Amino acid sequence: MGVIVTAIAVLAALCGGAGLTSGLERLFVRPVWEPGPVHAADLRHPLDLPNADRWLLPAGPVVAFAGTALAMIVVPLGSGLIGRDLGIGAFYVIVVIDFVVLGLALAGWGANVPNTVEACYRIIAQLVAYVVPLGLAYVGVIMMARSLSTVAIVEAQRGLWFIVLQPLGFLLYLVTGLMQSYRAPFLEPFAVSIRGGVLGASGGWSALLWRIALAGVLFLVAAIGAVLYLGGPNGPVLPGWFWMTLKTYALMALMLGLGRLVRPLSTAEMLALSWKILTPVGLLNVLLVGGLILLGVRP
Amino acid sequence: MTGTATVHSDYGFVGLILVMTSGLALLAVAAFARAPRRVLDPSQAWAQYRFGYAVYALIFLAFDMEMIFMYPWAVVFTDVGISAFLDMLIFIALLGVGIAYAWGMGGLQWE
Amino acid sequence: MTAAFEILAFAVSGFVAIAGALGMTTTMSMFRSGIFLMASFIGVAGLFILLAADLIGLLQIMMYIGGMLVMILFMVLVMHDPGGAMMAGMDMAPIERWFSAGLEPRKPRQGGHGDHGDHAVQHTDDDGHGSHEGHGGMDMSMVTPVRPAAAWLAIVVGTVLIGMLIWRPAWPVVGTLPDPDSAARVGHLLMEKYMIAFEGAGFLILIGIFGAVLLARPSTYPDDPSRSAKVAVDRKPEAIADDRIAPLAGRDRDHRAGDDGL
Repeated sequence: MGVIVTAIAVLAALCGGAGLTSGLERLFVRPVWEPGPVHAADLRHPLDLPNADRWLLPAGPVVAFAGTALAMIVVPLGSGLIGRDLGIGAFYVIVVIDFVVLGLALAGWGANVPNTVEACYRIIAQLVAYVVPLGLAYVGVIMMARSLSTVAIVEAQRGLWFIVLQPLGFLLYLVTGLMQSYRAPFLEPFAVSIRGGVLGASGGWSALLWRIALAGVLFLVAAIGAVLYLGGPNGPVLPGWFWMTLKTYALMALMLGLGRLVRPLSTAEMLALSWKILTPVGLLNVLLVGGLILLGVRP
Repeated sequence: MTGTATVHSDYGFVGLILVMTSGLALLAVAAFARAPRRVLDPSQAWAQYRFGYAVYALIFLAFDMEMIFMYPWAVVFTDVGISAFLDMLIFIALLGVGIAYAWGMGGLQWE
Repeated sequence: MTAAFEILAFAVSGFVAIAGALGMTTTMSMFRSGIFLMASFIGVAGLFILLAADLIGLLQIMMYIGGMLVMILFMVLVMHDPGGAMMAGMDMAPIERWFSAGLEPRKPRQGGHGDHGDHAVQHTDDDGHGSHEGHGGMDMSMVTPVRPAAAWLAIVVGTVLIGMLIWRPAWPVVGTLPDPDSAARVGHLLMEKYMIAFEGAGFLILIGIFGAVLLARPSTYPDDPSRSAKVAVDRKPEAIADDRIAPLAGRDRDHRAGDDGL
């Protein structure tokens, strides 16, 4: 019984977090800006696409939603407030968030509409761009925490947050986190010029699931960022869940704000940025952190 | 045996979340079953496409493989110490050569 | 109770693995084919997790989500009719029909909100699908004769494998299972016992990068005008409505901050 209650709590946390996220995100979207993943979608009328692949298209939002829900399991919201402390939690998060990309690609190709197929190609380009630098940003933290478990990573930051020890890794995480959540400068897959991509070919229940999944991705990226670099639920006096929520949404606001300072990048520019700048910086960060640990600088 | 039991119960929970997510999705489908439907323009888009990031994609596959080695290495780095650092230095140098080669050959660009 | 769950999980993972492999070979859509292969590997990952090797299972999932999505792009690049909308309407074996269900275009439902009539049947719009007219017959001739031979080969290989299973019934069973901290265990093995293999893998990856760059360089790509290949994404996307900053020239991407304000 307790297991089911925990599972419901995890899903409720995801939905609540996603709801708050879309509330916060509204503050960062002006009518003249590219909306990106908050592009308008028809929430009332389900959509009929006569030429669509009738299995892939509906599978898309379900897979994406499932990916966010699975990732939510290992996010520690406070001491004891965690779905499951998987031994390889941080790595597990990287893997299951990829299901969002998979879902977007499924729906993009499955819809068989030029705009969505274009979105499918852009989404896969986004995957090609973000996975390696994001992984390198995780690796620095894992080296210092000496564990892949999210709870152990939070524990390791009881004295000092990793943002202090690895500012370069934190910057890397900010940029790749924006790529991973398709937010501001990297919103090509949801550009207005292709009518919101997959969102333009969704309606009714699928639009609803996309809303949750896309807000959920941003929420998860911010929450995991808070866990990796800002000490997660650690904090004085007030309870852990308060600190976790505060850090998550502060980091999210920081990311959204910084992202809006920059002109949206095309897919080609994003790929060049990722492979020519972020990946070398990530490798450098790994070496720097390794050197720091060997010099005895550790939390 | 406890190791197996822990892993099974952990991933059993993951499976439970998966089942509940599917249930929620089905609920969402059912909730919209009676809503009026909208039909979109039935133009078709399934054709052969060239894509501009073929080299990026292939290099990505190689680096994805490399990241697999990174995570277990990162966990034990502090325990193993300097030899782990040298190991990874060689590894990263090899990859750096790879990325420099791709860049130098003009692979890292949109075609 | 636990045993029942284990059997259930094994059955589900095994079913996904086998059905994915079957679907990969029999579906008419290239895209689905790749997705089925991915599903098959995810089923195998489930089996790994059942064996308490969760790190390997998740590595498998990570590799094959990225790998298959990229591979699908290359399959779409070289195949005629990658979506299978043409082939799906043709004569198919039952298993092919099963794995290609829902591919062929249908007429839009009457009474919807759309303002177009019945012109949605497949042969009327040729802007999106310029190449399908002449290729139907060729695709069939390419696919059909190989298939029985492949099926026989698969049956032979399967029989041999099952025979090996039966012939060698005494599988070694370990008494104690290793500790669940699989990442640290794998890391120690990589750093100590299998260090040469680890560096060798790095070297192989390097060779792989060399090969990829050599094969896929822009100048060597044969541009065959008879294919309906398109550039999927523009180098410069359409102008963004409120773009107050001039698009940057290629070189100076790294200082790209502007004053767009919040």
